[in-house]
Amino acid sequence: MSFVIATSVEEALAALANGASPIAGGTDLVVGARHGKFELPPELVAIDRIEALATIEIGADSMRIGSGVTHATLMADPAIVGSYTAVADAAALVGSPATRNVGTIGGNIMNASPAMDTGAPLVVLGASVELARVGSSRVVPIGDLWSGPGQTTASADELCTAVLVPSRPAASGTAYVRLEYRRAMEIAVVGAAAAVELADDGSISAVAVALSAVAPTIISIEIEPADVERGSVAEAASQQCSPITDLRASDRYRRHCVGVIASRAVDAAARRAAGESIAVPVNRALGIGAA
Amino acid sequence: MRHSEPMRRFVRADGPEKVTGSGRYTADLTLTGQLIAKFRYAEVSHGRITKLDVSAAREVAGVLAVLTQDDVPDLRYGDAVADRTLFARDVVRFEGEVIAAVAATSAQAAQAGIDAIIVEIDELPAITDVEEALTEQSPLVHEGWADYESGWGCERNRNVASFSSISKGDAAAAMNTADHVVSSRFVADGSHALPIEPRSVVAQWEGNKVTIWTSTQVPFKARDGVCETLGLPSNRVRVIVPHLGGGFGGKCGFHFEAHIAALSRAARRPVKLVFSREEEFLAPDRRREGIVFEVTSGVMDNGDIVARTGKVVVDNGAYTADAGFFPQMASMHLAGPYKVANVHIDAHLVYTNHQPSGSVRAPTAPQACWALESHTDELAAAIGMDPVDFRLRNCVDTGDEGVVGQTYDEIGLIECIEAATGAAGYGRTELAADEAIGVAVGWWPSFPGASGAYVKLEADGSGEIITGAQECGTGSVMTLRQLAADELGMDPEDFQIVYQDTAAGPYDAGATGSQTLLNNGRAVQNASRQIAGQLRQMAADRFEASPDDIVLGDGVAMVVGTPDRSVPIAELARSSMNTELLLGHGSSAPVDTPVLRNSTCVGDMGLSAWIGPQFSCHAVRVKVDRDTGVARVVSVHAAHDSGTIINPIAARGQIEGGVVMGIGQALSEGTQYDERGAQRNAALLEYKLQTAADIPPIHTKFVEVFTNDAGPNGAKGVAEAPNVATAAAIANAISKVVGAPVRQLPMTAERVWEHSVGNGEVAS
Repeated sequence: MSFVIATSVEEALAALANGASPIAGGTDLVVGARHGKFELPPELVAIDRIEALATIEIGADSMRIGSGVTHATLMADPAIVGSYTAVADAAALVGSPATRNVGTIGGNIMNASPAMDTGAPLVVLGASVELARVGSSRVVPIGDLWSGPGQTTASADELCTAVLVPSRPAASGTAYVRLEYRRAMEIAVVGAAAAVELADDGSISAVAVALSAVAPTIISIEIEPADVERGSVAEAASQQCSPITDLRASDRYRRHCVGVIASRAVDAAARRAAGESIAVPVNRALGIGAA
Repeated sequence: MRHSEPMRRFVRADGPEKVTGSGRYTADLTLTGQLIAKFRYAEVSHGRITKLDVSAAREVAGVLAVLTQDDVPDLRYGDAVADRTLFARDVVRFEGEVIAAVAATSAQAAQAGIDAIIVEIDELPAITDVEEALTEQSPLVHEGWADYESGWGCERNRNVASFSSISKGDAAAAMNTADHVVSSRFVADGSHALPIEPRSVVAQWEGNKVTIWTSTQVPFKARDGVCETLGLPSNRVRVIVPHLGGGFGGKCGFHFEAHIAALSRAARRPVKLVFSREEEFLAPDRRREGIVFEVTSGVMDNGDIVARTGKVVVDNGAYTADAGFFPQMASMHLAGPYKVANVHIDAHLVYTNHQPSGSVRAPTAPQACWALESHTDELAAAIGMDPVDFRLRNCVDTGDEGVVGQTYDEIGLIECIEAATGAAGYGRTELAADEAIGVAVGWWPSFPGASGAYVKLEADGSGEIITGAQECGTGSVMTLRQLAADELGMDPEDFQIVYQDTAAGPYDAGATGSQTLLNNGRAVQNASRQIAGQLRQMAADRFEASPDDIVLGDGVAMVVGTPDRSVPIAELARSSMNTELLLGHGSSAPVDTPVLRNSTCVGDMGLSAWIGPQFSCHAVRVKVDRDTGVARVVSVHAAHDSGTIINPIAARGQIEGGVVMGIGQALSEGTQYDERGAQRNAALLEYKLQTAADIPPIHTKFVEVFTNDAGPNGAKGVAEAPNVATAAAIANAISKVVGAPVRQLPMTAERVWEHSVGNGEVAS
């Protein structure tokens, strides 16, 4: 067993090239190993002290969120809350204060759980992921990152260094809502993120919806502004998912609830697009789920 | 009588240690030369052991002892029925049954030893459905059940480990006269006590004596279990409980102390066991039992309940532990604290291949109260009466006769109903369409029993209480200081407590059955009164007065009404070194138990304990998300008759903790099994406790009704009663919002949704 604390991205990439596995907050890795899901990797490189990974940079047409940014930062950062509110909604629901203080956005998306909270918001925001290895890096649309439960298309020597999110148009809003049985230490039973853009007349000109915990990965659904006007968001979400039955819920219940939750996410996003201030997270502000 | 205000002040003696972390728990102990123990479990719910070979394990480096049933006295033990052995012999009957144990120099070596044990088991069909297990066609969990002994006189037959029938009047005839007859069926899943501290045991032999440090709620019972299974006299086994990290009933009973003592003896080294959370879920024989209820009541148009019949089937699991009296408890709770002249209830405790059931906080009561009180709202609805008015009309009051013939001395159930519903604004509060206030009443017995304590005053005037009682976090042992101080006119903080050590204190039943204050409280009072007598005599001698004229108060002994003729108690204590030491010993006196109509009752274990019953009413406001079935408790108003409240802050803490546990039982806590009888959610991720963020405001009101049937100064217990009525009240609120009772417990979001869309019982 070896444990190396990297102080730079280069050190971390070198360790990965030599077969080490990255650990940031460890909230999935350590818990998973203790539950017997997998063996703790014999060689670990800690990336939680690399300052370059923990920054949020606002560019002309996008925001660059370092992979080491914690959920506690995401849920409170004014730029995130202001422009990418669904990400803040999601980060605020992760685990407990202890989890949120060490758990990172990079860890959340690379863990590739279909029930992750930050994934669906990033999908509706059109985010990409920056993957680096020794000597090169590439940018992958986030929807292409996940290949199955716990599976990504990244290779073992690649490190997620940042999430890139395009700037949002004016008169737009996003929201993430999840079904939960309790208010802390919870995993989404189902979840939905929505992004809504409004035309000058206040009508919905664009809508995007992504769902968590109802398919092997986070999925984006086909939906049009007309679906919102017709009130058929719930139907669309329920039809386009492929949930499983497990300890938390049956497939039948998940299929029903994801429609309810998707509809509420679209509603909250539209209200935010129209200028209404709904506090983060939507679940608490609107009394949704266990709120 | 009420205590004076200073006596009601609460300074908890173990508080600073627990809050600062300086207190020590069993898992904190490390002894020189200590080995680590691990168990090999059955891992299948039912099977015949065809091969068990530990020879390779004995050769593993670092392994110093390996034990199976071949290495300990081959006898069956058990609280109610002697139906189990320390290690599995021939047949395994639940997945957490211990087959072998290893002690080694490290946890890794112990695990290597466990892995080297060769176990081959022919798996048998698991008996998992408690109603099927009750049928004559069912295979048996214990083929040899008829040969087992029952020290408690359980009525047994095949898979039935205990049976009780209570009967009053002629229920069948009365049912025919009723204007309305309502039948209901309810199914409660099993659940867990889930103390935060997973259990730990450390054993060390010196000569022919063993000291065992263990996280038990019942040190004397643990000691007696070791003595029984290893063949030792009581005075050679000392059980000490360091601070206990919660129990909630799960740590009642004798569990693994003998395994570790036997390992320690074989290895000639101290041995330590610390459970993982998973082991804490799977291995103990104290899970909250699953129960199936069928109840039918006949009610008149005027609101009188005239008849009730019921059938209760309790899942005993693989072994009986202390569940022998559960049929009686469940029957009493299905009869309920109501005036019903004609009752017949049959209750069965039935073996399955599930983990054994046992006393978890108010065993059977939360489930039975949930079933009965849901049924009670259905009765009220059948005649169009408000459910609170219906309860006020039918509930028992002072002087009424209960279902087994007991006449109740002063009780305050009606006051509880009025207090809880009044404070909750029942019937007066504007509620949103997705909100409702549900109301339920509950009760719980007081269990009189033997219990002892010593009290001494040192020469400097400081006092010490040496008690056999066990503190499991409720504060009941801490409250003993107030009783001693009250008798001796001293301050509670003048006393230290030596407790939970079988070699130091006299016998006590432990932190079980809400009995500590009722029984040990009287013992401490009696011990203190001996010293008070000594002090009065000493002061009387000094002032040439009669001992009857000496009063003890504010730290002095004084001739009544003459403050200038007083002496500090500390000065009398100092002079006791020259006369007679200030030592008192006390025991709880036997109590007259209620007269039962034995001719109409089969199996009365536990029934006579309905002396000084505690009553409660919970009014709970709940918000239900109809689209998803998620229910959220908005507020809880709890009113309790636990007699005189000795320590209001501690008692309020018990109400709040019991309510929180009740919310979990109501909404999220339930064991899920697979078809082979294995627990599917034996982990905190998937077994959903309520978190601090989920807990609503809890408002407590004590209805202090004095009765001579209670313990010290009219105090009854208060540890289990708060856990009884919460789930039932939540159920009635949910039912009001979704239009029909949810007939499965816990009432998970999915179940609430399925019921609200009319799909009845669902699997998970």
